[in-house]
Amino acid sequence: MDFRLGEKELALKEEIREFAEAELPPDFVRDTLIDGEFRDFEFEISVSKKLAQRGWLVMSWPEKYGGRGASLFEQTVYEMEIAYRGIPGAWMGISGTQWVGPCLMMFGTEEQRKKYLPLIASGERDGVWCTCYSEPNAGSDFASIQTRAVKDGDHYTVNGQKVWTSAAHRARWCWLAARTNPSAAKKHHGISIFIVDMKSPGVTVNPILNYYGRHHFNEVFFDNVRVPASNLVGEENKGWYYLMQSLAFERRSIAPTTYGTLKWILEELASYAGHTEYEGQPLSKNPVVRTKLADLAIDLEVLKMFAFQLAWQISQGQIPIYESSRNKVMGDDLMKRGAITGAEIIGIYSQIDPDSKWAKLNGAIQGAYLGFPGQAIAAGTAEIEKNIIAQFRLGLPKSY
Amino acid sequence: MDFSFTEEQDMLRILARDFLAKECPKTKVREMTEDEKGYDPEMWRSMAGLGWMGLIFPEEYGGMRASFMDLVILMEEMGRNILPGPYFSTIALCALPLFEYGSSEQKIKFLPQIAKGEGIWTLALTESSGRCKASEVKLRALSEGTNYVLRGCKLFVSDAHVADYMLVVGRTGEGNSPEEGITLFIVDVKGPNVQAESIPTIGGDRQFKVSFDGVVVPEDNILGKMGKGWDVVDFILQRAAVLKCAEISGACQAVLDMTSSYAKERIQFDRPIGSFQAVQHKLADMLVDVEAVQYLLYQAAWGISVGSPSPWQISAAKVKANEVYQRTCIEAIAAHGAIGYTMDHDIGLHYRRVKAAQFVAGDSDLHREVISIQLGL
Repeated sequence: MDFRLGEKELALKEEIREFAEAELPPDFVRDTLIDGEFRDFEFEISVSKKLAQRGWLVMSWPEKYGGRGASLFEQTVYEMEIAYRGIPGAWMGISGTQWVGPCLMMFGTEEQRKKYLPLIASGERDGVWCTCYSEPNAGSDFASIQTRAVKDGDHYTVNGQKVWTSAAHRARWCWLAARTNPSAAKKHHGISIFIVDMKSPGVTVNPILNYYGRHHFNEVFFDNVRVPASNLVGEENKGWYYLMQSLAFERRSIAPTTYGTLKWILEELASYAGHTEYEGQPLSKNPVVRTKLADLAIDLEVLKMFAFQLAWQISQGQIPIYESSRNKVMGDDLMKRGAITGAEIIGIYSQIDPDSKWAKLNGAIQGAYLGFPGQAIAAGTAEIEKNIIAQFRLGLPKSY
Repeated sequence: MDFSFTEEQDMLRILARDFLAKECPKTKVREMTEDEKGYDPEMWRSMAGLGWMGLIFPEEYGGMRASFMDLVILMEEMGRNILPGPYFSTIALCALPLFEYGSSEQKIKFLPQIAKGEGIWTLALTESSGRCKASEVKLRALSEGTNYVLRGCKLFVSDAHVADYMLVVGRTGEGNSPEEGITLFIVDVKGPNVQAESIPTIGGDRQFKVSFDGVVVPEDNILGKMGKGWDVVDFILQRAAVLKCAEISGACQAVLDMTSSYAKERIQFDRPIGSFQAVQHKLADMLVDVEAVQYLLYQAAWGISVGSPSPWQISAAKVKANEVYQRTCIEAIAAHGAIGYTMDHDIGLHYRRVKAAQFVAGDSDLHREVISIQLGL
């Protein structure tokens, strides 16, 4: 065993710190509201481009697709630091860098790779993606999707409705799961993945505001949308397998980013407690506050170890089975506790609008508090993740 | 980074697991809670024969020159199986500091004895407050010529009834801080004026009140530097905390394994209870907990193994282990239903040991304080 970071990773941390100091405006206020709107998309995409120029945006991709073949440890450290420093623009929509690119490398045609990967790697607006998975009647029971893609000569015709589509209003491309064989013996075996141009006629995007009025999610309607047959990813009806892989990629990056965000929140809370007087002494001397922050720090350390363990496992060529689900459960639980504990520490100020001049810590705690319930549902609820752990790690019988 | 064990470490784990399963079945574990000695001397000799007593000593003291991480692996297996007896007291609490702080005479005299399985040791640190803090060390050690005379009493001294020697933490002076003026003494327990009185525990392990009523100790038996004993205590607490985490880690894994097997076998409503999500989610939570303990443990142990222990990583591991051991046992009993509440079932053996484990080498509050300071609070 060896738990040291390599020189590359240590140097990278330092470079990202310098990048944040140089590129983020001095009055920059980070958005901890995880499903907050992309409030200043122009700024965000301008940062994407700078990240691309530094060779970071898709660092773990091979050079021929715009990356630099960085190790998964570097990638993990990068994700932690980006989140810790609050640097926006790292994901190219919600999916470009994280799973569309990697899945195209695994399952796409060379033509698809040549067309789409450099776009994502460039950090340009035309490299921004959304992912259309969930439907009104297919949430956790994802294999029940009904959006249809019917082959018609050299193209497919797509009809249906998607929902909870993050960043669809910003995306140039859509990574779409649709049903190509409605009469397959198992519903998992009739699904395919397509690349859809969001500018295609028949694509309509409607905003869904979250309970705080922020716009992150959308409904996406497909009304006789023509998709070239060359936009099918991999084989027809093998989509379920690609989907599972994409979710594994997505779940992998949750632990590093949650770790980074919470590490920052924890440091802010510690500093707040040190500077806030209560009953004639700093709040940080209060044993209850000390216990709460210490407990948060312990589980943050667990999340860090989980994140690196998964990176190590993948880098050894082992296929993760339940580990991404473990990390998702731990990350969501910790985000919830960080938000709730943070709110307890700032006390009555936790009710203030995060944008208000009255907000403590620039509204970071309220952002986390408002955001965590949404983050906990995205990419698999705790219940679904625990089913996966129970069935695939502990070998318990399927429950449904 | 590397999250893998070496081949030798995997072998050590398998060997330990097989040995303990064969030599120390649960019937024996139960027997030992009623036994006068509380351990099986024959098994003790076999363990010495396997090199477990001197595992991390160099060959010159009869050891195997293994790493601290190897010891962690061995102790995970001891925790998994439950090994009654004075291994933890002898090795974790005493042999490690003897090797680190002992004079060459002390090392030559005591370490080979321990390695051969011929010396049982324990640590006398805690007093009536029950806390592992320097300010609580009141036992007096007064200088008389070339000797010291110890007067006072210690509580929660493990295995004192079978110990040959005891490391006794005494106060030889006062300083600017409670840590100053503390000295460790090697005391021959068979000598006069040492009296042990049993403190019955729910774990069935052996703990004692030990009274020192004018015990004369030659100054050659000071371990480390006179007045600087708290450094030694710190050294002991850090390693003992990690090794107790190792026992807890193994124990939690055993409880999880038992419970997930049971969930697959136990039929209710015509199907295994493990097919119900209420049970599945409980077990999934246990798994996440157990792996949390494991990785915090390995990180802390690795730091010690490479010679740069991180006090706050050690503390994080101990708080987590304390919490998870208790929660895992409680949830496991619930998942078993009434059978888990019986004398015949093994889960109770673990649950009964939780309280003892939580207070070894610092309770959770003490370790949270280390973390708070690290956070700048």
